[in-house]
Amino acid sequence: MYKILVMFMVFTVSSVSAMEKSGGHGSHNHESHNHSASESANGSDIAFPEKMFSEFISDLANVQIVIVDVNGMVCDFCARGIEKVLYTDDAVTKVRVSLELGKVLIAYVSSKKVDFEEIKNIFLSNGQNATGYIIKKI
Amino acid sequence: MGIYKHLIFAITLFMLSDLAESRPVSWAGGSTIMYRTNSMMSSYLFHYSPTYKYSIGAEYVNDKYFNNHFINLRSTYLLDRHNTKISQRNIYLTGGISTKTNQDFSYGIHGDWETRRIFSSFSVINKHTKEKNYTENEFQLGLAPYLGEYNDIHTWVMLKAKKNTINNDWEIYPFIKLFQGDYLIEVGSKNSHWDIHFIIRY
Repeated sequence: MYKILVMFMVFTVSSVSAMEKSGGHGSHNHESHNHSASESANGSDIAFPEKMFSEFISDLANVQIVIVDVNGMVCDFCARGIEKVLYTDDAVTKVRVSLELGKVLIAYVSSKKVDFEEIKNIFLSNGQNATGYIIKKI
Repeated sequence: MGIYKHLIFAITLFMLSDLAESRPVSWAGGSTIMYRTNSMMSSYLFHYSPTYKYSIGAEYVNDKYFNNHFINLRSTYLLDRHNTKISQRNIYLTGGISTKTNQDFSYGIHGDWETRRIFSSFSVINKHTKEKNYTENEFQLGLAPYLGEYNDIHTWVMLKAKKNTINNDWEIYPFIKLFQGDYLIEVGSKNSHWDIHFIIRY
């Protein structure tokens, strides 16, 4: 049994090493969405898969999409609270979480004045850190 | 003053414990129901998290080893959390006290570090009972065989190592952790004893 434990630990450590070298997302190839009319802050990585974004906005109109970069969103349970808290805001019409990208898409009604400090506080109340964002009006 | 307030709060919670558990603190306003059974005990726990920093709750415990039943008041305090883009690390203080007698209480420390692929945790819990005082140590390592997206079924293949100072012998056994949405279940078996942990969060 101890041999199994040692083998498991070696495998775990080697996996961590490989993951950190690859930047934590494994190998994936994203098409970037063109946010030419977007507002961004804190160096947010605006690249977002076109297909995922298109699916998200397919049933939306007259909204503004905020794409938030999040630190610490490593599991479904971690993100669950974010979604629940966001939906308590009447101005939020749709939320989509991407664990792979560490991003959350939030659709706000167009009249909402988006305040990144408010968004940061929402994420912090769930124990995660919002590190950057972009806004795209559609 | 701020640091003293923080320290007093942590010590208070430290005095109110039990085994390490997955996600011992929820989001602000979140509630959790847990059921756990293993060779030593079975329990039902409800806890509420006023903030993501701590949870308070009550647990009905059937202590199989000492043939005892009681209710524990429990609390867990998130002492420190470090988030990165790919990982989260937590250190918790945890404590519990029996409503049956103030001679039964427990306190300890629990930490975890995880990415979407790897999970590791440890806990050291001191238990004081009328019959005996003892310490429970636990380590867990886990690997996700695939990376699930949000709302998928997430699977973890885990290895748990446990020792208490009553038997003074390490038990090492594999278990599986599955979760989807608000539900999580862990199932393992050691020497024909089931180790089951079920969580609903809302």
